[in-house]
Amino acid sequence: MRILVIEDEIKVANFIKKGLEEEHYAVDTALDGESGLYMSEVNDYDLIVLDLMIPKIAGLDVLRRIRSNKNKVPILVVTAKDTAEDIVKGLDSGCDDYLTKPFEFRVFLARVRALLRRERVDTEPILKLADLILSPVTHRVTRGEKEIELTSKEYGLLEYFMRNPNKVLTRTMISEHVWDYHFDSMTNVVDVYVNYLRKKIDKGFEPKLIHTIRGVGYILSPDRP
Amino acid sequence: MDFRSLRFKLTLWYVLILGILLISFSSFLYLTLSRSLYRDVDHKLRSLAELIASESTSPLSKFGFGNIDQALEATMNLKPIGKFIQVLDESGRIGRTSENLKSVQLPISLNALRNGSKGLVTYETNHSLGNTPLRIITYPVKENNQVTKMIQVASSLEDVEDALNTLLIILIVTVPSILMIASLGGQFLANKALKPVDRVTQTARMITSQNLNQRIQTLKVKDEISRLIDTFNEMISRLDQSFRQIKQFTTDASHELKTPLTILKGEVEVALRKKRPLHEYEQILESNLEEIDRMSKIVEDLLLLSKADIGEIRLNREDIHLTRFISGLTEQMKILAQPKNIRIEISNHQNEIHVFGDTLRMRELFINLIENGIKYTEAGGSILITLTKETDGSLSPLTPKGKKAATFAKITVADTGIGIAKEDQEKIFNRFFRVDKARSREQGGSGLGLSICKWIVEAHQGEITVESEPGKGSSFIVRLPLYSHQGENLDNY
Repeated sequence: MRILVIEDEIKVANFIKKGLEEEHYAVDTALDGESGLYMSEVNDYDLIVLDLMIPKIAGLDVLRRIRSNKNKVPILVVTAKDTAEDIVKGLDSGCDDYLTKPFEFRVFLARVRALLRRERVDTEPILKLADLILSPVTHRVTRGEKEIELTSKEYGLLEYFMRNPNKVLTRTMISEHVWDYHFDSMTNVVDVYVNYLRKKIDKGFEPKLIHTIRGVGYILSPDRP
Repeated sequence: MDFRSLRFKLTLWYVLILGILLISFSSFLYLTLSRSLYRDVDHKLRSLAELIASESTSPLSKFGFGNIDQALEATMNLKPIGKFIQVLDESGRIGRTSENLKSVQLPISLNALRNGSKGLVTYETNHSLGNTPLRIITYPVKENNQVTKMIQVASSLEDVEDALNTLLIILIVTVPSILMIASLGGQFLANKALKPVDRVTQTARMITSQNLNQRIQTLKVKDEISRLIDTFNEMISRLDQSFRQIKQFTTDASHELKTPLTILKGEVEVALRKKRPLHEYEQILESNLEEIDRMSKIVEDLLLLSKADIGEIRLNREDIHLTRFISGLTEQMKILAQPKNIRIEISNHQNEIHVFGDTLRMRELFINLIENGIKYTEAGGSILITLTKETDGSLSPLTPKGKKAATFAKITVADTGIGIAKEDQEKIFNRFFRVDKARSREQGGSGLGLSICKWIVEAHQGEITVESEPGKGSSFIVRLPLYSHQGENLDNY
């Protein structure tokens, strides 16, 4: 899951990025409204964390312009503006959730998870496909009775797969949602990680869940395509 | 009716003044009329007495000791109606009387007799005869410087008293009635005049800190009440503005404090989510310390400004040799400027510049200004401090002794930095105003430095202004009243 953090206070942006990355999200940061808006237009984010008092383009304007682009990405506003008027204005301008500073990081993470869940039809807090279960809260992954140990990147990849089951995912989509903008798309890193993941969740289990669609990408599905 | 109300007081005053006027007028009228009526009576009595006297002394007199009425009628064709006449000889014995006296004698007082014998005329009012008082003149007649007889003429005062009584009754009846009517009219007028005041009161009562955007409805007519309403509305506007400012200030202050708090909380929470190598903890602690320092600075500055606002800060003013003072300060600041390779130079055209100021605050002022210059100037730039005396200024400063100082000390701190956009220049002294929030915070500013500078300068009866061109640099110009050194030991003031 790839998240964009638009926040002008470098230290705040840094700890949010660090905390989210440790939860296996891919995180990009933008230090002003202009670059934030630009990044939201060129990349496909699963969530945007937005501060309101940011230079160049104000947070609320960034919010309105993202929405006017027909972009439905969940947006979590994190700001020091805490009056009722501010909250109403924020939510009415198109954000999905509003968190005031200073905040509890646990709460922040829970809200991120809730917003990511909203994209799916079912709103169960755990992700499930056949006998493969992933819990975004505890980061535990099990198949059948067996607990599966994953690295951070493998976990991020699996979460993305499980949030988009039975859907063909291209290498570009995968790289965009699982890696941040430092990712070099010319390499075969995606294939390498998909293979690592396949070894861990499909080896010794039936049915096989990860399938290759030749020339396009991959699909996570209990049925053979 | 409320007896303390303005309405009652206005009516009361109105009636009181009208009453005093009416009563004095009535008294004057009554007294003047009565005096004139009495004088008239006296006048008539005397002329008649004189007439009789001259007639009776003339050699051709027909006034023997006979009928006075007939004699008068015969000589002067005169019939003195309502007049009683009595002629006495020099010893007071009654001679002839007029017919209308019949058997009654006009009373003659001892005083009148005594006066008469000296040749003096006496007027008397006598109440002893009948119901009505009599006015009597006793007129001595002299022949060869000898009083030979006295003529008494009397007239009833009934007509005069009747006239006066009637006037008195009219006055007693009309004055209170006029006052009654006037008091009703006065009440009506006061009501009419004070009605808008009631309305103003009602509206004003409804306005609280929550709805300061409300205004009292203005009147079409421009009178005292409309001026009152205008004044009220202006006051509410000013209140509204200061409430807004306080609110803005509180919001700004809380935002300023929230950023370091968010960082502290967030960094620590993220750090505690799992075990980390020692150097990471060290990093976090260092960063935390930075934020704590920043918060302390904000709180310190806020406290200073709020103390300054309520006038709790006393300046310990003394004679400062500004040239020497700033040279010393600049030497210290050069250490701060060294890492960015910024030159600091002083140019002063006059050596002897003294101001009367608080050393501590002056130090704070110029350190703030020079530090700002260093912060917003790129590496390799320069800061030029100029000290001059200025004769003409918009301020009219006072020396401690109350004498007008002719000149100012003008201190300019000019940098070659990034400059300030025109629209931001007037806001730059506002609390928490920042041209570039991120940059300013990075530099560790509290957003209050220039507000504090402004306060310090103004507390010293000076002024601070800024001139700047984006990309070229900014000049902060401080003008302080020059202190004319007189070798006196001046107390703090």
